[in-house]
This record gives sequence, C-alpha cells and structure tokens, in this order.
Amino acid sequence: MLTIRDLAVSYGAVPAVNGVSLEIEPGELRVILGANGAGKTTILKTLLGLLRPRSGEIRFGNGADLLRMKPHEIHRLGIAWVPEGRQLWNTLTVMDNLRLGGFAQADRTAVERRIGEMLERFPRLKERENQVAGSLSGGEQQMVAIARALISAPKLLLMDEPSLGLAPLVVRDVFTLVKEINAMGIAILMVEQNARQALKVAHWAYLLENGRIVESGSAAEIGAKESVQAVFLGGHT
Amino acid sequence: MELFLQQLANGLVIGSTYAVVAIGFALAFTVLRVINFAHPDIFMVGMFAGLAASTQWPALGFALTMLVGALGAGLVGFALERTVIAPLRGRDVLMTLIGTLGVAIILQNGMAVIVGPDPVAYPALLPRRFIDLGPVALTLRQVVNFAVCLVLLGLVSFYVRATPYGRATRAIAERPDVAAAFGVNVARICQFTILLASIMAGVAAVSVGMLYGSAHAFIGLLYGLKAFICMLVAGNRYFEGVMVVAIGIGVIEALVTGYISSSLRDAAAFFVLIGVLYFRPNGLFGSYAT
Repeated sequence: MLTIRDLAVSYGAVPAVNGVSLEIEPGELRVILGANGAGKTTILKTLLGLLRPRSGEIRFGNGADLLRMKPHEIHRLGIAWVPEGRQLWNTLTVMDNLRLGGFAQADRTAVERRIGEMLERFPRLKERENQVAGSLSGGEQQMVAIARALISAPKLLLMDEPSLGLAPLVVRDVFTLVKEINAMGIAILMVEQNARQALKVAHWAYLLENGRIVESGSAAEIGAKESVQAVFLGGHT
Repeated sequence: MELFLQQLANGLVIGSTYAVVAIGFALAFTVLRVINFAHPDIFMVGMFAGLAASTQWPALGFALTMLVGALGAGLVGFALERTVIAPLRGRDVLMTLIGTLGVAIILQNGMAVIVGPDPVAYPALLPRRFIDLGPVALTLRQVVNFAVCLVLLGLVSFYVRATPYGRATRAIAERPDVAAAFGVNVARICQFTILLASIMAGVAAVSVGMLYGSAHAFIGLLYGLKAFICMLVAGNRYFEGVMVVAIGIGVIEALVTGYISSSLRDAAAFFVLIGVLYFRPNGLFGSYAT
C-alpha cells in the first residue's frame, strides 16, 4: 500500500536520508530501527509532505504520488501521525485535540463516535477531557497523541518513537496498544530506538544507519543478527 | 471618585477600540507569524470607506455604513494577503514585515493624496445624546462603540474556541506542521484569518470615526503602535489576553489623562510595556515559542 523508492532528503547541503527504499502492505506492522540522527524522523516527515526530498518516489494506495501533494491532502488519503515527543496542542483541551484529529473527516457522527470510543478505551483521558493537554503526564499525553491519530480511522499509522521519554511500565502499555491497533487492521510504520520492544510487535524490520538501510528482514531475523544485538539490544530494555 | 468612574468608563470605551485592532494584529502574528504593519492602515481604509459611502448616501445609517467599512477593509486585507503575505510567508519574518510596511506606507500616503493630510470630519451617523449612568455620563456614540467592539471581541473568542475552523486556527498557531498533517489546509486558514481581522477592523473603524467625529489618513500609526504594545504586554498565547490588556491600557491612559496630564497619555502604554517585559519577557499570559 506504501512504496518508497530511492528516497534522498537533505537539510541544505547535509544529506539526512540517502537512497532509502521500503514498503508496507495493508495490515502490516513494520519498524525502522536506528540511532539518533539516522534519518528516521526525516523519512516520516517526507512521507507526510512536511519535507521535500531531493529525489525519489513515494506512492500510496492506488498509486497516489505523495511527493506532488500537500500535507493536508496526504492526510485525507488515510495517513495519520503520532509525532515524536507527542507534539500535542498543549494550550488546547484534550477534547479539542481529539476533535482536531477528526478535522478533515466529512462524517461528523463517525468522528463523535470514535472520540467516544477512545474516551472509553482510555478512562484517564475521559477524566481529563476538559484539561489542557499540556497539563497531562507523559504517558497520558502519549495516549492523547495515539487517540488523536486514530480519530480519522487511518489506513496507515506513522508512529515516531512512541516510547520516547516514558516510564518503563508505560512503555509496555504503549507497545501493547500498538499491537492492539495493528490487530484492528491498521497498517503501522513505526520508527524506534527501543529495538527489543519494537521487534516483539513488528512483522518486518529495517535497520537505518546514516540515512541508509543497512539490513532488512523479518523481526525475528533482524533480532537474531549480531550487529543488531551489539548496537541495539545490549542492555536496552 | 466620580472622576475615577468617569475616566474608567472613558478608558473602557477607548480600550475596546484598541482591542479590536490589537486582536487583528495578534491573529496575524500568532497564526501566520507575520508582523502585519498594514493592519492599522486597513483599519484606516475601512474608516474612509464608511465615510465615503455615508457622504454619498447619507441615508445609509449606522449599520450599513459599518458594512461598507467592513467591505472596504476586507477587500484591502484580501488583496494584501494574496499579493504580499501569501507569497512571502514562511520565509524570513523580516520579508513580510518589510512587505506589509511598504503596503502601509502606500495606503497612508495614497489616502493622504485623496483626502489630504489633515483630519476630515466624520458623519454623525447616530444622534448626539447623553446617557446618564448614575455617577457616569456617556454619549450614545461611546456606548454603541463599546458594544460594537465587545461583540466583535466576543465573536473572535467564540470562533477560536468553539468552531472547527477556529480550533484549527489555534492549532496552526501552536504547531503548524502537526495541524497540516491532520488535514488542516494551513494556507486557506491563514487567508481567512487575515480576511477576518480586516473585516473586524473595518467594522470598528466606522464606529471609531463616528466616536471622534473625524478621520485621518495617518490614524493607523497611533493604533498600530498601541496594537503592537498590547500584543507584547499580553503575550500571544491567548487572544483573550490581548483583549484584556488592550482594554486595560485604554483605562490606564484615561486615568493618566484624568489625574496627571493628557500629554503623558501616550507614554503610559510604553511604561506598561517596559514594566511588564522587565518581569515577564514572554508577556503577562505567555507566548508560543517561535
């Protein structure tokens, strides 16, 4: 459903992503593993139309050319985003954050219904629905960020380091949730540094180093590779 | 005590007009990251559009004249957004600053060529009548002006808090990228924001022209400075904060005029600015990081 071919992105003269190709099929959960600065977030932002690549091709669904589209048009194809560090609208209430998640949806009753479902799934958010999002704990904010992305009933969910900055117990909750969302039939492309947890839930994994994919394979294969163990799994929880 | 209450009332009336111009200025800065120096002159254009219409058709009445003011200001705002702001937005903030400053100079001097550089008498529009409110006496025009401004401010507050478009507007103010990635057409909302600010300014301009009984091609200078100060003092995080500060500055000015000297009136806003920024550099109510 998503195909990226030879993607190259740079910030000014500095290349961030260099010839990356990857794909994801409906219902799949794929993860891109890589250290800080490897280019993970750059790939997602380019997919979303927030960055313009130097070269390459990105196709989604029935061949829609994402590189010719604006971010709000790309979202309307059914792509939602859980940004790195949550990036909620901190001065807006939890409820307003969720409503904005459904901003582009024509079917208002479906949006209201899904907001209701999310508040039921996350009772903590229901208690705090009229608080500004900035006043929530990190874990609660991550729940809002994930719920906000799901309000649009996306076909593909892009998750940027959902475990970043969260307490270990909350991290486990988040990955359980990721699995749950994928089980609903939503394809997920996740970037992570927490390889151990990510490989437990993913079907397929890519290893990104300095803007290039150096390994790819099933989660089990990648997890077994010595190079991956050395870099990502040594002592990492 | 009577002087205090009277000056308080006068200050609320003046402050509410500052608030309408300041909120338009703050909308442009907060949502588009554009310092729109032409905004106070769009207000001025609205004032003269109303004056021209009312001179041509004296039977128009107050409400329809305001409508003409809104149309005139809205048209100029729309053109400004299309020709200067949209092509330059998103680059260096100085580009739109210089661009809008250029438009401001064109509008001021263009108007001065048409109507002359001196104040021009404004049509009465409403009967001259005093309204006695116990210890305070206000003219009908003051009361109407205050009401018009409060309605405009209330509408803005309602719009940004309770409508989908308004929520998206605040979402762009805080995180434009995330808003775009959630399906918000940022360019279109920016366009609408400038249009809204201009129309509001046009409505208020007719009311202010009537209040003072005169219009002036360079009136934007005074309002622009006050609007800028209000936004800096309040911080741009909450539009309502800018409104409160603008009204507060109007009151302070009126009190300075009443108790100290009218020649110190225009300095008062600067004292407030320096005092507040010394202790709270992000403004009284906080600002978005830029």
